[in-house]
Amino acid sequence: MSVRNAFLGLLAQKPRHGYELRAAFEAIAGGGVNWDVKPAQVYATLDRLAEAGLVVCTSDLGEGDEPGRRVYALTEAGLAALRQWFDEGVEPEHQRDEFYIKLMVALASGAGDPHRILRTQRGLIYQRLHGLTTQRNALDARVALAQVLLLDKAIMHLEADLRWLEFVEARLGDIQRQPLPAPQVRARGRPKKGS
Amino acid sequence: MPIVETQNLSKIYGAGEVAVTALDHVSISVEAGEFVAIMGPSGCGKSTLLHLLGGLDSVSDGSVLIDGQNLAGMKDDDLTRLRRRKIGFIFQFFNLIPVLTAQENVALPITLDGVKPAEARARAAEWLTRLDMAERMHHRPDQLSGGQQQRVAIARALVADPDLILADEPTGNLDTRAGDEIAETLRQVSQQWGRAVVMVTHDPRIAAYADRIIFLKDGKVNDQTILAPRRNGDAATAAAPLQAPA
Repeated sequence: MSVRNAFLGLLAQKPRHGYELRAAFEAIAGGGVNWDVKPAQVYATLDRLAEAGLVVCTSDLGEGDEPGRRVYALTEAGLAALRQWFDEGVEPEHQRDEFYIKLMVALASGAGDPHRILRTQRGLIYQRLHGLTTQRNALDARVALAQVLLLDKAIMHLEADLRWLEFVEARLGDIQRQPLPAPQVRARGRPKKGS
Repeated sequence: MPIVETQNLSKIYGAGEVAVTALDHVSISVEAGEFVAIMGPSGCGKSTLLHLLGGLDSVSDGSVLIDGQNLAGMKDDDLTRLRRRKIGFIFQFFNLIPVLTAQENVALPITLDGVKPAEARARAAEWLTRLDMAERMHHRPDQLSGGQQQRVAIARALVADPDLILADEPTGNLDTRAGDEIAETLRQVSQQWGRAVVMVTHDPRIAAYADRIIFLKDGKVNDQTILAPRRNGDAATAAAPLQAPA
């Protein structure tokens, strides 16, 4: 959804070619290293937007010997979709977490040492935090504030992750003394007719 | 050779039934120019470890070696001299002398060690300038912000040209922004000026500036994480990317 909506916004700024759109997206998304969009995804997204009537595609004439290229522009419906996106909040996503699942599986199966899993995760997050801090401090906030703020967001989330890991480690014994969440036992087979 | 090393270092407060083991056979070593953070829950022994590294407290068992010299066997005078010349201290509450200017605070330790006042003032000015405090050299601590006071304290810690800087919660009394600046300065102390820095902190954000984190728990080393490969190490590690190997 982010890519689709960002494309609408970038086309609201001005009509663009596909490759131009891709470059503009990567620039505002923190660079291609941070969020790369494959050309195939760019054109698939644009095709869907065109089908939905949110953008229109025209061809320009091309310069000299170059063939004409497809240029995309926003429609009225596209502008309305963009405004709707601005009017809504963005859901935070913190409860579907691979590390949490790994820890639960380790506790349930007994096949992994939860202390070791916690330490490994802590080490990895500290390495990322070190890398982001180094990147952020190498930027000059007077000219690169947008990039600084994106890195700050990532840094603050990693700080929160570390605090949470500390909290989990301190309470691991308590967790192990409780029953783990288990599925409700249901009768086997098809539900009876009429129930 | 490591600049500071502990071998099976233990510290027990009290005796008999009321004895409390603050450190339990801790063996660590820090190389010249390395920036190491020590973390752990309160009461894990991190401040005790820092005090023992600095010869500020006596060991119960095991040893602390500074530049290969065992602190335990040293006479008081020798220990004092070693502390003044080899080790610089930075504290949470800056510990500057209120009636002295920034420059006088920085010059004080080397003046006490016999450096002539004019030279001591010149060296103090030089370090304050490197730490971006040239314009506030003649201010007293109460005329400086927390971050600026900590810069003065860092200049004071560096003025005797020590190989080792010990910092006890250096950002604990600062807001986030000033804390980040002080942590970046400590990184500069290690990276640019080649001093080993050992910093105790409870703040993950600040610890992430270090090259390596040592985690203590119940007086023991619980874990270590390498955040940046050794810069002055062999070619293989020096050429490695920023992310340390898992």
